[in-house]
Amino acid sequence: MTTATGRQASADDPRVMLDEQIGVFEPVPPYPPRTEREAEFYTLADGELFLNMGPQHPSTHGVLRVVLKLDGERVVDLDPVLGYLHRGVEKLCENADYHQAICYTDPLEYVSALFNEWAPVMAFEKLHDVEVPRRAEYIRVLSSELLRISSHALFMGWMALDLGGLTPILWSFIERDEIVDMLSALTGQRMLFNYFRIGGVNGDLNHDFLSRLGDWMTRATAQHEANLGLLNENEVFVRRMRGLGTIDTRTAIRMCMTGPNLRATGVPFDIRRAHPYSVYPELRFDIPTRSEGDCLARYLLRVDEIRQSLRIIDQCLHEMPDGPVMAKLPRLIRPRPGRAYAAVEGPRGQYAVYAVSDGTDQPFRFRIHDPSFVHLQSVGLLLPGNLVADTMAIMASLDPIMGGVDK
Amino acid sequence: MDRALRRRLESRFAAQLSGPVRQRHDETEIRIAPGDVPDVLRALHDEPELDFEVLLDLTAVDTGTAMQVVYHLWSPTSPDWLRVIADGLSREDPRVPSVTFLWKGAEWQEREAYDMFGVTFEGNRDLRRIYMPPDYTSFPLRKDFLLPDDAARSPGAGVQHMERTHAPAAAAPEALVRRARS
Repeated sequence: MTTATGRQASADDPRVMLDEQIGVFEPVPPYPPRTEREAEFYTLADGELFLNMGPQHPSTHGVLRVVLKLDGERVVDLDPVLGYLHRGVEKLCENADYHQAICYTDPLEYVSALFNEWAPVMAFEKLHDVEVPRRAEYIRVLSSELLRISSHALFMGWMALDLGGLTPILWSFIERDEIVDMLSALTGQRMLFNYFRIGGVNGDLNHDFLSRLGDWMTRATAQHEANLGLLNENEVFVRRMRGLGTIDTRTAIRMCMTGPNLRATGVPFDIRRAHPYSVYPELRFDIPTRSEGDCLARYLLRVDEIRQSLRIIDQCLHEMPDGPVMAKLPRLIRPRPGRAYAAVEGPRGQYAVYAVSDGTDQPFRFRIHDPSFVHLQSVGLLLPGNLVADTMAIMASLDPIMGGVDK
Repeated sequence: MDRALRRRLESRFAAQLSGPVRQRHDETEIRIAPGDVPDVLRALHDEPELDFEVLLDLTAVDTGTAMQVVYHLWSPTSPDWLRVIADGLSREDPRVPSVTFLWKGAEWQEREAYDMFGVTFEGNRDLRRIYMPPDYTSFPLRKDFLLPDDAARSPGAGVQHMERTHAPAAAAPEALVRRARS
């Protein structure tokens, strides 16, 4: 290999590395098309060009590459390329025992790790017919609703950041930091908690957590409303988001959407009410919906959800029963052969686990259904016809987390 | 357990069911042949007394002897999850009709099942690998794909290959293939 100056280049010459890197991320794949759709996509019409967005683009929320086919500044078509973060979590879980599998699911949607633990824990409890103590269920609801607020707050910050506003992300990190500090007092970890156990939770509420929470609850509502002023009353933001990336109810259901993205089209589908689990039937909260189905609706819906989560936390604190936080279970569990499906309403939608037991101490099949993965494919419907600058806004409004998309 | 749903399913799909309707906790499960998937799912989706309009999950399972494709559905008419198992796909050439004509969002989930298990979904317009690189040749979630650090479980046979190309039948030592007994 020689450089432009003609001398022999060493392997660690940065210019040589750069050339090779560019070759790797050519938008047009260096192999013949595998499907008709791929052949159709990678054929350019007159005046069209390919633009590679990612895998290191800051607005892809992780490592995602989107090949955009452009006509001028309009997106004609796109092809998301996944797998840069694929770790094979399902395979790892199938080779771990039931307790170990829980911690592998934590880093999937790393901003809402408790929900990732909740679904497998619920599935294993169903397989093993475990009765969870009521106090443990209340603690689960309390801690995960806190995390929902943190996740939604972070969503608002990221969304504004993708549109070019720097301030909201700093504010939302203040909010998130308070919450993860609280949870770290409860669970011992700031981000990947590994707190839920089969049959309960790992450790009861402690004084540190409760005093932080009580302190935060006195000003949470006011702080939340103050944060909203940054974006809700920002004319640039609202005009930019309104009417952008609109999806209607029928299409959203056909695209298998769930969670806030589906509720923003007017369907009050929330697993907490549609298929109640844990102690949600005892709690009073509303399911906010919006009818517009555009980016602004998806944003405002999450704002409303934060208010509902605050209501739920308040009730949990007032109605928290006494009692144990763990069911009595052996260290190694061997559920009888069977199948179980458990779904929780995460901040992004239905997070579900399908577990198959064959009677041994490891799950025979461990399927993780991640809402980010399902929602991300609808960019194929939402983006065409929009400007390149709006692709970031639309993708951010769907709130995908690449750790969950790539599993 | 929703007994009424069980009766509805038994009377409506008497011809298609390849086993009893099973119920446990909050789940109802039916088994059908892979060829019946479009008819059964269209009926579940369209008929107002069933109304299973939401596809929650689509995945595949390698039981060690056969492949299954599993659909989870939700309907406002029943408090149960409905699980539809298309059972008895051959491990050599598993094929099942695609459901993208009902749920376009199933496209990527079918791509994932193809990538991980090698199940061919006939009618999916974009059935290519989604996570693994395009020149990858094996299907990682199959039971004959062994992890190199699976030593605790395996006597050591065949563990040296991380990317073991899928070879049909008897590829895995019998002791390593754990079977779903139910």
